[in-house]
Amino acid sequence: MLIEKYVTSALSPKFLSMKRTSLLIIALACSAFLLKAGGFQVGLQGQKQTGMGLIGTGLTLGPSTLFFNPGGLSFLAPKYGAELGISPLMSNVSFQKTLPSAYEASTDNPLGTPFAAYVTARMNEKLSLGVGVYTPFGSSTNWGEDWAGRFLIQDISLLSIFVQPTVSYKVNDKLGIGIGLVYAYGKVSLSRALPVLGQDGKEGRAELEGATNAWGFNAGISYRPVPKLELGLTYRSTVTMEMDEGEATLSVPLTLASNFPSPNTFSAKLPLPGSVNLGGSYKVNDKFLIGADIHYVFWHVYDSLIFDFEKNTSSLQDSRSPKLLKDNMIFRIGGQYTLNEKLNVRAGGYYDSPAVEDDYYSPETPDAVKIGLTLGLSWTPMPDLDVDVSFLYVMGLERDVTYSPAQFGGKYKYNAYIPGFGITYRIN
Amino acid sequence: MRTTYFSALFGLLFILVSCEPKMEEFKADPGSADLSKYIALGSGMTAGFADGELYKSMQAFSLGNILATQFSQAGGGSFKQPLMLDDLGFGQRRVLGIATDCQGVSSLAPIAMPGTPNPGNFLPVGAQGPYQNMGVPGSKLLHILAPGLGVLNPYFGRFSSNPTTASIIGDASAQNPTFFSLWSVEDAIWFAKDGGYNVADSLTPVPQFTAYLNNILMAMMANGAKGVLANIPDIMSLPYFTTVPYNSLVLTEQAKVDLLNAAYGPYGLSFSLGANPWVIQDLTSPTGFRQIQAGEMLLLTLPQDSLKCGGWGTLKPIPHKYVLDAGEIAATRNAISALNAVIAEAAQSKGLAYADVNLLLKQAEQGITFDAVTLTTSFVSGGLFSLDGLHLNAKGNAIVANLFIDAINTRYGASVPRVVINDYPGIAFP
Repeated sequence: MLIEKYVTSALSPKFLSMKRTSLLIIALACSAFLLKAGGFQVGLQGQKQTGMGLIGTGLTLGPSTLFFNPGGLSFLAPKYGAELGISPLMSNVSFQKTLPSAYEASTDNPLGTPFAAYVTARMNEKLSLGVGVYTPFGSSTNWGEDWAGRFLIQDISLLSIFVQPTVSYKVNDKLGIGIGLVYAYGKVSLSRALPVLGQDGKEGRAELEGATNAWGFNAGISYRPVPKLELGLTYRSTVTMEMDEGEATLSVPLTLASNFPSPNTFSAKLPLPGSVNLGGSYKVNDKFLIGADIHYVFWHVYDSLIFDFEKNTSSLQDSRSPKLLKDNMIFRIGGQYTLNEKLNVRAGGYYDSPAVEDDYYSPETPDAVKIGLTLGLSWTPMPDLDVDVSFLYVMGLERDVTYSPAQFGGKYKYNAYIPGFGITYRIN
Repeated sequence: MRTTYFSALFGLLFILVSCEPKMEEFKADPGSADLSKYIALGSGMTAGFADGELYKSMQAFSLGNILATQFSQAGGGSFKQPLMLDDLGFGQRRVLGIATDCQGVSSLAPIAMPGTPNPGNFLPVGAQGPYQNMGVPGSKLLHILAPGLGVLNPYFGRFSSNPTTASIIGDASAQNPTFFSLWSVEDAIWFAKDGGYNVADSLTPVPQFTAYLNNILMAMMANGAKGVLANIPDIMSLPYFTTVPYNSLVLTEQAKVDLLNAAYGPYGLSFSLGANPWVIQDLTSPTGFRQIQAGEMLLLTLPQDSLKCGGWGTLKPIPHKYVLDAGEIAATRNAISALNAVIAEAAQSKGLAYADVNLLLKQAEQGITFDAVTLTTSFVSGGLFSLDGLHLNAKGNAIVANLFIDAINTRYGASVPRVVINDYPGIAFP
C-alpha cells in the first residue's frame, strides 16, 4: 500500500532546555545568559545584563562581557574574573484552532535551563584572555502526543552549547577589540505522529534524534569616546549545524513496516543565525546608568528544514518544510541604580519583532512580537563577590497564523517566566 | 527596607510562573437557525454506513451524529441513532487483513470481518424511537417518501415506526424538526455501482427528482425548519470506480499472446506483450463481447480471483455488472450534474444552506490537506474512503461535516464549531 509522503519535517524550537548538572561543573564562577526571543534564540548570557533588559553590547559588566562584546574584555578592571549563572526557563504557549472551532491546547514544556560560565584573565596592560561556555540557542516545546497539530510536532528539544575562547586587545584607553572562536555543540530530538492508524487504535510515530558540532566566531569593538559613555559593536557569525547520522525511529502498524524502514538515519541542517549588535551606555551620575542595544539577527539563513532519510520509500520520502524566516530586530533598553556599595538594582525591557511569517508559522516555533520586562539585583557582600539575581517576563502578543504547507493554524499566545541566579568573583 | 521590597516583588513574579497565557474563548452560536430539533435525512454516510455495512462504532462517526455533536454546542438537542449492537451489523462489514489469493499469494486487502453478528441487529427497534438520525443506507429520494419502505430496506425496517406503512419522511416530519440535513447520493450512484446493469436501479430522471425533492422539503419545512442540502459526488471521485485499471491484463508470455490473438483475432481483438485491456461483456456488440477501452471503468467489486485464475477477462468476458462502459459513464455523469443543478436551485429558492460535496471531492482527487495530513480519493492509501470504496470513512465524514458547518455558518450567520478532522479515524491497518 502506498501511503504517500508522510513523515517529518519540523525542528525549530526556541528556548533552551538542558540536562542540568554535568555541564555546570565545567563552570568557572559566575553568570550570564542571553535571551532573545525571535526564533529559538535564547538570550540569557549574563544575570546583570538580564536584569537590565538584556543590554550589554555597549556595557562592560564583568566576565560575561566576553559574550556580549569581546572588545570590552580588555577593559575589565579585575585581574581575574569568573562568572556563573543559570536561568530556569518556564515557557507556555496556548493555542486556539482557526475559528470556528472550540479546540484549544497548551504546551506542557519541561523546565529549560540555559546557563553561562566565564573566566577571564588580564595578561598585561593590553591583552586579556578568557573562555566562556554558554547556551545561546535552544528550545523545549511539548504539545503532547494527541493534540491537533501532532502530525507537525509532538515535542521537540533543541540544545546548543557554545564554548568560546577569546582574546581581547586594548588599543588605547578608548578603544578595545576582541574576537572569540566558537565551538558549538548541538543536539536535537523531536517526535511527531505519522498518519497511519493501527487496528490497535495507535497512530504511527516518528522519533528523530541527533547531535553534531560546528564552528563560528564572535567579534566586537568597544569604544569609550568620553569617560561617561561606552559604545559597542559586535558581530556574531551564523553557525550551521549539519547532522549526518541522526537516528530515526519509525513506529507503524506491522503491515506497513516495510514502507517505513526503521531504524533509519537522516541528515539535516539547522542554521543558528548570527547577528550584528550595536549598543551604548551612559553614566548619568555616580549612581545611575542607562543603556540600550539594537540587534539585527540573520534569521533569513533558516530557509527550510530538510530531513534527508537514508532509506526512502514511496511512503517515506525526504521531508522538506519551508520556514522562510526573515531577519528580525530587537530593541533593548535598561538601567542600573546603585543604592549603596552593597546593592545595585536594575530594570529594563525589550521589544523583539517576529522572525516567522504569518503563513509559515509552525507550532514548534512560538514566535511573536515579544515584549520582555526585566528586574535585577546584585548584592556585594564582600568586595570580591557579587550575588546576582534577575527576573525576566516575556509576553508574546497573540498571533493568528497558519503553517500553510500543512494547513494548520490558529491563534497562538506565548509567555515565559525566567528567574535567574548567578555569582561573580573577582581577584585583583 | 529596599531588599525586603525587592524580595517581595520577586516572590510575586514567581507566583505568576504557573500562569498560561489566556485566550478569548470561542462562543458557539446558531445564528438565525434553530438547532434544537435536528433531523438527519439521507443515504449511507448520513446513517454511518461504511466498509460495506452499518455498524455501531462507525455510527458514532455518521455525518448525522458528527453534525449533531457540533450543533449541541450551539443550542442543539439530543440526537438518537438506531444503533446496531455490534461492529458486524448485518454481517457485510469489511476490514483490512491478509488475504491469500487463488495463486497462493498473500497480501493486504479488504476481507470480510470475522465473527457472527449479534442476532439483535436484525430485530426491530422502532418502538424505542423516535430517532433523529433518519439516514437510511441505499435510500433514493423516492424511498424517503415511500410508505412501507421498511419492507424493502432492512436498514429502515429496523427502526421504522411501522415497517409496513411508515415512511422516512413521515417519521421525520412527525418530530417537528427545527433543522434538517439532506444528503443522498443514490439517485445517481446506485445505477453506476451496479454497472448500469440493473434496470430497476435506473438513474432518477430530473422531473421526478425535482418533484421528490420538493415533496421532502415541503414536509420538512412545514413548520419553518431551516436546513442544509448537499449534492452528489462525481463517480471520478469515488475509488469504487477508479481503482481497478482497465488494462491490468499483463501478458508476459508470447505463447499466451498468440493463443488470445488466435481466438479473438477473427473478432477484431488484439493482444500483445505487456498491459492489455480486459475482455468485457457487451450486449450491444454482435459478438456479445469486446475489449474495454481507456476511460471505461471496472468496478471495485470485480472478483480478483476470477481474473487471476477463473479466466475472466480473457477466456470469459467480464460480466456487464462489473463494468461501467462509456455510455453508462456519460449517462451517470450527466445525471449527476443535472440532479446537482436541481439541488442547488432548491437550496437557493428555499433559502437553505448548500454544501458542495461534489467540488470538495473533486479537489480531493488531487489531495486535500488538513492539519498536516494530506488525503486523496485513492483507495485505502488516500485515507478518505472506507473499504467499500463508495462511502467515506470517519475522517471523510468529518471533512464533509465541516463543509456542512461552513455552509450553515455562512447561510445563517451561525458560529457552529468545526470538528478537528484528525480526531476521526481513517482506515486501520493490521
